[in-house]
Amino acid sequence: MGFFSHTSRALIVVSLLAQPARAQWVTTHEQFYLEASHNWQFRDRYMAADRLFNAFDFGHAILYETLWTKPGAPVTELEQKWYDRLTKNILVKPPRVPLEEGAIEIGYVQLAPEAKTMFEWAHVLHRQIYDVLADERLTQAQKDAEVARLIAYYKTRRDVAFSSQPKSMALMQEQPYSLAFRKGYPKFNGLIWAYHWLQVGLYEPLLKGQTVEERQSFVRATVARFWQMLKDPPQKMPHQMPMTAAVAPAFTERYPEAAIIFDNLHSMHDVISDILANPSVPRNRKRAEILLAARRFRDDTSFVVSRDAWRMMAEHMGLENMGGPAVGFLPELPTPTVTYGAVMAHDERTGAMTGFKYGAAVGGEHAGHAMADTGKAKAADTAHAGHAMADTGARSMTMAAHDSGMMDLHMRMLGDPVIRDRIKADSAMLRMMKESISQMPAEHRAHRESLLRARTDRPATSTKSTAKTGTKAPATKAAPSTVTKKPATATKKPPPTKKPAADPHAGHKVPPPKP
Amino acid sequence: MLRKRLGLIVDREKRLMANWTRCRSLIVGTGIAALSHTAAAQTDYYNTDAGRPIRTEDAYPVERRAFELQLAPLRLERAPGGTYTWGLEPEAAFGILPRTHVEVGFPLALIDGSAGRSTAGLAGLELSMLHNLNVETSIPALAVVADVLLPAGAFGPDKAYPSLKGIATKTFSWVRFHVNGQYTIGDAPTVGASNAVHLSRWSAGFAADKTFPLRSLLATAEIVSEQPVDDAEPLEWSAATGARYQLSPRWAVDGGVGLRLSGDSRPWFVTIGSAYAFGLPWYPRR
Repeated sequence: MGFFSHTSRALIVVSLLAQPARAQWVTTHEQFYLEASHNWQFRDRYMAADRLFNAFDFGHAILYETLWTKPGAPVTELEQKWYDRLTKNILVKPPRVPLEEGAIEIGYVQLAPEAKTMFEWAHVLHRQIYDVLADERLTQAQKDAEVARLIAYYKTRRDVAFSSQPKSMALMQEQPYSLAFRKGYPKFNGLIWAYHWLQVGLYEPLLKGQTVEERQSFVRATVARFWQMLKDPPQKMPHQMPMTAAVAPAFTERYPEAAIIFDNLHSMHDVISDILANPSVPRNRKRAEILLAARRFRDDTSFVVSRDAWRMMAEHMGLENMGGPAVGFLPELPTPTVTYGAVMAHDERTGAMTGFKYGAAVGGEHAGHAMADTGKAKAADTAHAGHAMADTGARSMTMAAHDSGMMDLHMRMLGDPVIRDRIKADSAMLRMMKESISQMPAEHRAHRESLLRARTDRPATSTKSTAKTGTKAPATKAAPSTVTKKPATATKKPPPTKKPAADPHAGHKVPPPKP
Repeated sequence: MLRKRLGLIVDREKRLMANWTRCRSLIVGTGIAALSHTAAAQTDYYNTDAGRPIRTEDAYPVERRAFELQLAPLRLERAPGGTYTWGLEPEAAFGILPRTHVEVGFPLALIDGSAGRSTAGLAGLELSMLHNLNVETSIPALAVVADVLLPAGAFGPDKAYPSLKGIATKTFSWVRFHVNGQYTIGDAPTVGASNAVHLSRWSAGFAADKTFPLRSLLATAEIVSEQPVDDAEPLEWSAATGARYQLSPRWAVDGGVGLRLSGDSRPWFVTIGSAYAFGLPWYPRR
């Protein structure tokens, strides 16, 4: 009896000791990218943008490493020291070749190598799709076929591939650990969102450009726009996670599966930041939480919403809250209509916004929504509260919707492909226009709706002029402040205006008022 | 992994360094300390390969579905008295399975006999397989390697020499360590053409490397102890240091220097090489 008792105890002890060891015996592996003629085309043709992505990899890696290995470090470690080094040094002079992240996030990789492999595999897909779209030897049909092949190759790694089913935002920002990172490190979080904006947004200029010259100039303009976001952090940065369907609508329409994968990828980036940053998750639970989240992002069943709901969710979150469009943008960054990092509640079935779970609206269409939980209500950011133009514009537009003069104006605006593209690129304007049209008499409504649906192949002229600015000050040669001081111009010929000494944006045309 | 020493000894004075290809007097040497073998060949500068530039390697294989070509891995050894030894061993590796690669090496020998006639030929054929057991967590990354040097070519060994090797890699924020240990089965080669191959019965290597990730540069150093396959020979110690650098996404280059620390003659050596990676074509099933 004694023998069995001792033996049982010994077995239990051995079993308990073996448990952590088993949990840490990881056998994930790396796989080479899809070999193809388009390999590294983006690197060859868009060197500045490509190198920025190398720097982004460093930013992600140093973030996780710092959060994991220095849990007691002051907030300034990331918000000042690393933020400044990243934005003033590494992004300005980015690495030549893709980085070995395992050599940067050493502690984090040992914590969750499976998650690191998932990110790397998805980043490979990201880059290979840039390569396809940048390859001037391929026709559009060939590009479509190659993207389909890339996605199929990506999905062969079922152990690390993100699901291509859209996931509810609840998976990202309504978990027990959620929001810790965005609340504690708003600048760095905004930087990561700006990274993600560019990573998905850069597909748009590659798709919208009709010639190689246009694609080159559009890409430069989009990169310049990224730099513009880094001024006055985090106010100018995205206030919501950039959703591919909103930031890159043309890409999403053409390659919806890839767009979903990238949204899932970027969501999981945020989730891991939250898990690592949230002290309520004990250190010995962080790996388990990361692996649980990773599994949910890989499977096709957890937190799944329909594609329509996913698109609606992105639209209701507001492109203006995600950094704005990636092409055809106005010189000024759009004014967010929610507080920084706000969490919207969405109808899971339709994706429609139903309220706020964290944060609040500060204007525009979101102003009409109440907090889902008023007990969590937060005062609107006073800096944004003053920006009521969108809200005012919406009301005045509604009041004038039946005015015949206004209807003529609508007709002229919608008849102009440039203006029409601009409206379609700005989700807030698009919603206002749709609302306005819906209130028109039926005999006018149909025609306007058809105009709004009409596809325009030619790119917005504003992007061209923006690109010229970008050409003069490419990201790798100009400091961020230089680009920001000379924001992209929206019109072909900005009328000269008197330049007040203190205003860095003086001299540029005031953006056209919203309808 | 087995250390196969293959060499082309250039019997020349110091000026041969600049003009070795025209030399007329080449003899097979008794040992180039590490022109050899390898079993882990990754293009990534961070994944070290045996012999590139040091002999001690990490526990990771070539990525699955990747091919790697070791192009012109060159080694020059200078013994006291001004004798230079050259070696070359092209290799190809393929990531055949998850965490597993296979590799084939073609050690080349160039010999100038006493009659003044140069002869070039293969000095065996080396096949190996590396299998990574786990990736690093709190547990070091571990790998095993099976290798065999086959009797092929004019200067190959007289029989096959299998060997086994174990590898461990542990990374800290400030440095990464590797430990390699290998054992070779088989008697010492007979005299003759097999002089082109020099084997060790066992060897143990310890290496440390420091990475500069933003520059895609790795600096490394090692110390190796080995017992030649001929038990009568004394234990040998050597040390080496070098660097690996990612030239482009597909190209990595390396270079290093080393010194034998034991024995009467203590030659030093220089090595330089490059590796090119590409993937296996893939098409979805229709």
